Amino acid sequence: MNAVDCQKIEKSFGQGETQTKVLRGIDFTAAQGEMTFLVGPSGCGKTTLISIIAGLLGSDSGSVSLFGESLSSLSARDQILFRRRHLGFVFQQYNLLPALTAAENAAVPLFAAGMNRKLAVKKATDLLGALGIGHRADASPRLLSGGQQQRVALARALVHEPRLIICDEPTAALDHKSGESVMELLSSSAVHPDRAVVVVTHDNRVFHFAHRIAHMDDGVITHTESPTTQLSHH
Amino acid sequence: MIALAIQMLRHDGAKFLTMVLAVALAAFLTQNQASFLVAFLSMTGSQIRDVREADLWVMEPDTECFDQAKPLKETAVQTVRGFPGVEWALPFLKVDTNARTESGKLSVITLIGVPEESRVGEPIMQIGDATEIYQRDSAVIDPGGMSLLYPGQNFRPGMKIRIHDEWLTLRGVSMASPPFTGFPIVHVSHATAMRLNRAETRNTTFVVARLAAGANAAKVTKEIAQSTGWKALTREQFEAASWKFYSDQGVPNLFYITITVGLIVGIAFTGQTFLMFVKENARAFTTLKVLGFTHPQLAVMMFAQASLVVVLGLSIGTAMVVATTELAKTLPFFRGLYLPWEVTLTCCSIIGCVTVMAAGMSFYKVLKLQPADVFRA
Ligand SMILES: Nc1ncnc2c1ncn2[C@@H]1O[C@H](COP(=O)(O)OP(=O)(O)OP(=O)(O)O)[C@@H](O)[C@H]1O
Ligand SMILES: [Mg+2]
Repeated sequence: MNAVDCQKIEKSFGQGETQTKVLRGIDFTAAQGEMTFLVGPSGCGKTTLISIIAGLLGSDSGSVSLFGESLSSLSARDQILFRRRHLGFVFQQYNLLPALTAAENAAVPLFAAGMNRKLAVKKATDLLGALGIGHRADASPRLLSGGQQQRVALARALVHEPRLIICDEPTAALDHKSGESVMELLSSSAVHPDRAVVVVTHDNRVFHFAHRIAHMDDGVITHTESPTTQLSHH
Repeated sequence: MIALAIQMLRHDGAKFLTMVLAVALAAFLTQNQASFLVAFLSMTGSQIRDVREADLWVMEPDTECFDQAKPLKETAVQTVRGFPGVEWALPFLKVDTNARTESGKLSVITLIGVPEESRVGEPIMQIGDATEIYQRDSAVIDPGGMSLLYPGQNFRPGMKIRIHDEWLTLRGVSMASPPFTGFPIVHVSHATAMRLNRAETRNTTFVVARLAAGANAAKVTKEIAQSTGWKALTREQFEAASWKFYSDQGVPNLFYITITVGLIVGIAFTGQTFLMFVKENARAFTTLKVLGFTHPQLAVMMFAQASLVVVLGLSIGTAMVVATTELAKTLPFFRGLYLPWEVTLTCCSIIGCVTVMAAGMSFYKVLKLQPADVFRA
């Protein structure tokens, strides 16, 4: 069973004359234990696709199933609960809450699930330690470097042990060195036999972290490749 | 979750403060003006309440309030005494006149005559003994009168007041309830009042009466009114009539304007600022949605934020009102000022509800946030 299984996804934006078809029948899969990259030129529909996979956006046609569960069969509320339990996110702009400390930010998914606050912050702090920024746990995000902020975001994506992590351009806002180290952390701490990681990126300097790369152009997946460097680890 | 909401609010200290102060301002203005209004209007009944022994007030039909009264003819007392259910009836003489002091201070005053035999309407005293008014050429004055006619002076035995062409000696300071008119209240004996009122032919401003035990007030007043053509009111009815008379003169309008402005300014400021807060935190709220916060959870968070603003604002505003009321009460003319709990309850409920409703409108913005926008810069 694939972690992510998309069939014939279509999606248009706008109405009438201005309508543009962004996804034109996408078939896309991502497997557990793997890091799957989704690459392609700007505007080809990568973000739209992962929004649909995550249940943040509806598709016009086609089906998405996550771990065998069809998203469209769930009620709106159950979709949120599913996302809360099983999905983690990493964004290009980190999206940390400026009002919270690093540890509290990392604990947000646990807050959403209603975990006791102390326990949640403790768990998040431990995870920050494991990701090498334990010493910044009490800092406000605006006092952290981009690389540090993205590591906090990574902790937030991992803290509730989700089965699918979705990253949209996680290194795009970072210099090469921090980007490289964030990707290293992602591949060492997020990849897990029970978990799939989907990474949207432009950044061909980090392609070597991928187990599989799906190439997308103008609303379709053109081809999928498996870089040999990663395959040798299997 | 609630802790998270409060953290977000506190993080934007400037908006938090603006909202709290706006609510505080609304709470202050509305309660301050409403309590002034209630206090002033209840002063229209001060001199009626002060005649503690009287259950009934009988007056000319044209008389609408205590301050503007047309006197009855002298036989009215006898007539009222003749009705069954009336235990006793007495003439009540109120004279509106002028007074001046040795230093030349002038004021319109309200002079009240107290019958020596019954002592009905005798004031409770702050300084001195009320029975001294029955001595010749004696009077007592209220605290408002003291401050108006003898500014900066404490009461001294032997102080003089000139009413018409007679010098009376002040024997003490009464605790007469503060009059709506703000005029000094001077109590003298009924005999003295009659003498000072000699230019007028009528000496019965009102007839005050006591109901016999077990008598039905409504029945007695109805009988008196029907057979004499006068107005006969219970004390409560007369107080209410005086209240209504001044209300109808437009006294409350100025207060209503300030109250409305206070409400609008406070609530508009708070609502607008809350909306700005939500807009500026749109990214944070969108992220929370994506990370699994449900709409009910977000509603609870925003309710907590609005509630904290409301509770803090109302507390500060109410504390300010209590402080100013206590301060104002030390001034003689504002001695009747008080903050009725009904005013506090009403003002705080309205402000609280409307502010939370305004926050509810901001919640609509959060409802409309598109989760997919989380990926957009
Ligand atoms: N909500 C929307 N309304 C209208 N058009 C949209 C909307 N979202 C995306 N689009 C359009 O759909 C196309 C694909 O957008 P998308 O963000 O998925 O591309 P992308 O591959 O992620 O690009 P980039 O690499 O620049 O992030 C773009 O032309 C974009 O303008
Ligand atoms: Mg994109």
